[in-house]
Amino acid sequence: MLEILITWIAAFFTLCIFSFLYKDNPIYKFAEHVFVGVSFGYGFVLQYYNVFLPNVWNRMPWEDGGSLFTLIPLILGLLMLTRIFPDIGWISRWPLAVMIGSYAGLQIIGNAQGDLIEQVRANFLPLWTDTFSETIGNWFLVFGTITTLVFFFFSKEHKGVIGHTARVGIWVLMISFGASFGYTVMARVSLLIGRLQFLLEDCLHLM
Amino acid sequence: MKNVGRFRSLILFILMTFFLVLPPLYAQEEEGKNFKYEITRDIMKSLNESAEQGDIPENLVVALAPLQGKVFINEQAFRQELVGALGRQLSAQYQSRLVDMSKIRVDWFDMTKITIFIILIAFCGMVLFFSWKAKTDPNQFIRRIPGLDAISEAIGRCTEMGKPVLYVPGIDDMNNIQTIASMVILENVARVIGEYESDLIVPIRPPFVVPVAEEMVKKGYLDAGRPDAFKPENVRFISDEQFAYAAGVNGIMLREKPAANLLLGSFFAESLVIAETGVLAGAIQVAGTANEHQLPFFVAACDYTLIGEEIYAASAYLSKDPELVGSLKGSDWAKVVLSIIMLLGVVLETFGVHFLTEWFFIR
Amino acid sequence: MKREIPLAITAIFGIFMVAQLFIPHYLVQDISGRLQDWAVVIVAFAYILGVANIIKINSGVICRRGQDWEYKIVMLIALVIMMLSGILLGKDPDDSLPIFDFMYNSMYVPMQSTMFALLAFFIASAAFRAFRARTTEAILLLVTATIVMIGRVSLGEFIWERLPDITEWIMNYPNNAGKRGIKIGASLGAISIGLKVILGIEKSYLGGD
Repeated sequence: MLEILITWIAAFFTLCIFSFLYKDNPIYKFAEHVFVGVSFGYGFVLQYYNVFLPNVWNRMPWEDGGSLFTLIPLILGLLMLTRIFPDIGWISRWPLAVMIGSYAGLQIIGNAQGDLIEQVRANFLPLWTDTFSETIGNWFLVFGTITTLVFFFFSKEHKGVIGHTARVGIWVLMISFGASFGYTVMARVSLLIGRLQFLLEDCLHLM
Repeated sequence: MKNVGRFRSLILFILMTFFLVLPPLYAQEEEGKNFKYEITRDIMKSLNESAEQGDIPENLVVALAPLQGKVFINEQAFRQELVGALGRQLSAQYQSRLVDMSKIRVDWFDMTKITIFIILIAFCGMVLFFSWKAKTDPNQFIRRIPGLDAISEAIGRCTEMGKPVLYVPGIDDMNNIQTIASMVILENVARVIGEYESDLIVPIRPPFVVPVAEEMVKKGYLDAGRPDAFKPENVRFISDEQFAYAAGVNGIMLREKPAANLLLGSFFAESLVIAETGVLAGAIQVAGTANEHQLPFFVAACDYTLIGEEIYAASAYLSKDPELVGSLKGSDWAKVVLSIIMLLGVVLETFGVHFLTEWFFIR
Repeated sequence: MKREIPLAITAIFGIFMVAQLFIPHYLVQDISGRLQDWAVVIVAFAYILGVANIIKINSGVICRRGQDWEYKIVMLIALVIMMLSGILLGKDPDDSLPIFDFMYNSMYVPMQSTMFALLAFFIASAAFRAFRARTTEAILLLVTATIVMIGRVSLGEFIWERLPDITEWIMNYPNNAGKRGIKIGASLGAISIGLKVILGIEKSYLGGD
C-alpha cells in the first residue's frame, strides 16, 4: 500500500515539475517550494548524523575515545553563530578567516598539482608518430593549447600577431565546446527517457 | 592601510625565509634518515583491539608491550628488536606489517615534490613582482573583456527599468577557489549597484557561503557610500541540493523578474536549467565559470560568457586596482614561460628524449 | 583589530596549508589532517545559519503577506517536518515512523530526477538558439556538435562508417586542446587569486568595518 502511495505521489510531483515547460504555474510553484523545503531538511539531517554526531558529540572529551581537540572546531562553529547577533557578529570573521585561509592554501596546491603541472606534462607529445591521425591530433593538441593560452593574455592588446593567434584560440575553444555539447546531448535525452519510463511503466503499467 | 602594508611585508619575509632556507637545510638525501620507527600508544591500542577480536594472538601484544615508546631511527635495528622480542611468533609478513605501522616520517622536505615547489615559487614570484612594480606605475594596461563591460551595462539597464540584478555565485562551497573569486566579483558588483541605486539578489546553495556573501555585499555598498542600501533578506540561502537550488533560482527569475542575471562561479549540470530560464524571463545574462564542461551551455544560452581565467581577472578589471591589474601581467608571463617549456618538451619527445616529461611527473 | 586578526589568521592557515604539501614530517601532517577534519565540522555549523536564514527571510514574507507568501508556508512546513522527523524519530526506517523515508522517496527523489531530466528540453532550446547565430565561432560550435552528436548514435555509422572514428578523434584531440588551455589558464588564475587572498591583497570578505 505504502509503495503504491509513494509511486503516485512521486508521479504527481514529476508532472508538477514537467508543467514548468508550459509556463510558471501554481502547481509548479507548489512543487518547487516543497522540493526546496524537503531537500534542505534532508541535507540538514544528513549533516546531523554524518558530521555532528560522530565528529562532535561522540568525540567530546568525556566520551570514550574523545579528545580535547574536538572543542576547537566546536568553538569555531559556535563563533560562526555569533552572526545571528548583530553586535558581536564581527567575531564570526575568525572562523571565516580560518576556513578561507585553509581553502585558499589547499586550492593553490591542488591547482598547481592537479591541473597546471599535469596538463603541461600531458602536452609533451611527439609531433611525429606512426599513425597519421595521431600525428595530426598531436599537432592540434600542442598548438591548440598554446593559441588558447594566448587568448587568455590580459596585459597585451589583441592586435597583430597576438590578435590573430588569440582568434585561432577562440576557434579552438569553440570546436572544443561544440564537441562537449554534442557529447552531452544523448546523456540528457536518456535522463528524460528514464523519467518517461517511470511514468508509463511504474505508474501506469503501460509498458 | 600602512599597517596592512607592513603586515604583508612581514608575511612575505616569513614566506621567503621558510621557502628559501628550510628546503636545503632539511632535504635529506639518504632515504633511511627520513623515518623513525616507534610503536606508539595508538598502535598498541589498535593491536589490543585486534587481539580482542581474535585477529592476532594475545601473547604477541604482551610481548610487544615493552617496546612501546622506544624510538628507532634505523629500520634494521627496529626489525632486530622485533625479532628479539617476538622470536618465532613473528612471520616475515607480520614483521613487515609492524614495520609499516610504526614507520613515521621525520624529514622536513619532500624531494619528490620539488617540481611543484619550483613552479609555485617561480609563478608566485612573478605575480608578486609585477603587482609590486605596478604600485609605482598606476597606468596598467588590461585588454577589453566584453563580458565584464557588459556587467556595468546590465546593471545600468536594471536601474533604468527599476528591476533588481540577480547574482548567482555557482553551487560550490568556499573550498572551490572559483567561489572565492566569485565573492570578490560580488563585492565589485555590489559597489557598482550601490552607485546606480538598484537592488541586488544573491541566492546561495552552500550555507557556509551565506555569511561571506553578506560581508561582500555590505562592503560593496559601504564603498559606494550607501551602507544603508544593504538588505539582509536579499542574500538568500535556498537549499543545499543542486536542483532544488536551481528550482529556487528559477522561481526568483520568473517571479521577481530581475533584468540582469550574473551567473559567475562554479557550475555543474544545473547551469543550463538556470541559464535557459533566464532566457525565458528575458533578462540580459552574463555567465562565467572555469568548469570547462559547463562552458558550452553558457556560450549557447547567455549573452556574454567569461571563459576560464577571465573570471579570475574580473576583480582586477572591475576595480582597476593597479596592484591587481599588475598581477595579471605576472600571470601572462607565466603563460609565455609555460608555452616555451611545452614546446621544448614537444621537441624533446619528438626526438625520443624523455627527461623533461619525467621531471614533470608527480608521484 | 576587527580586520587585522582575521587577516593574520587567513595568512597563517593559508601558508600552513601550502607548506604542508612539502613537509612530510608527521607533526605537520597530523595538524593538517586535523584541520581538514575541523573544516567539515565548521561547515556543518553553517547549516544552522542556513536554517536561520531560511526561517528569517520566509517568515518575513509571510508576516507582511508578500509575494507568494502561501507557498513560503508550504516550504517551511516541508522543511520542519523533514528536519524533525529525521532528527527526533531517526532516519533509519526500521526504528522510526517512516515519514522521513516516505518524503525522501516520494518527493525528493522524483523531483530531483525530473529537474535533471528537464535538461533534455533545455539543451534542445539552447542548440536551436545557437543555430540562429551567424558568426564563425557559432558555426564552428554547431558543426562540431552535430558531427559528435550523430557520430555517437547508430545513425552516424549508417550515414558514413568512419563517422564514429572521427567523433572519437574530435573528442581526443580538438576537444582536449580547448579544455587543456582553459585548465592551464584557470589554474594560473586560481593560484594567483589564492595567493592574493592569503597575503591580504584581496581582503573584502572581511567586511566593511
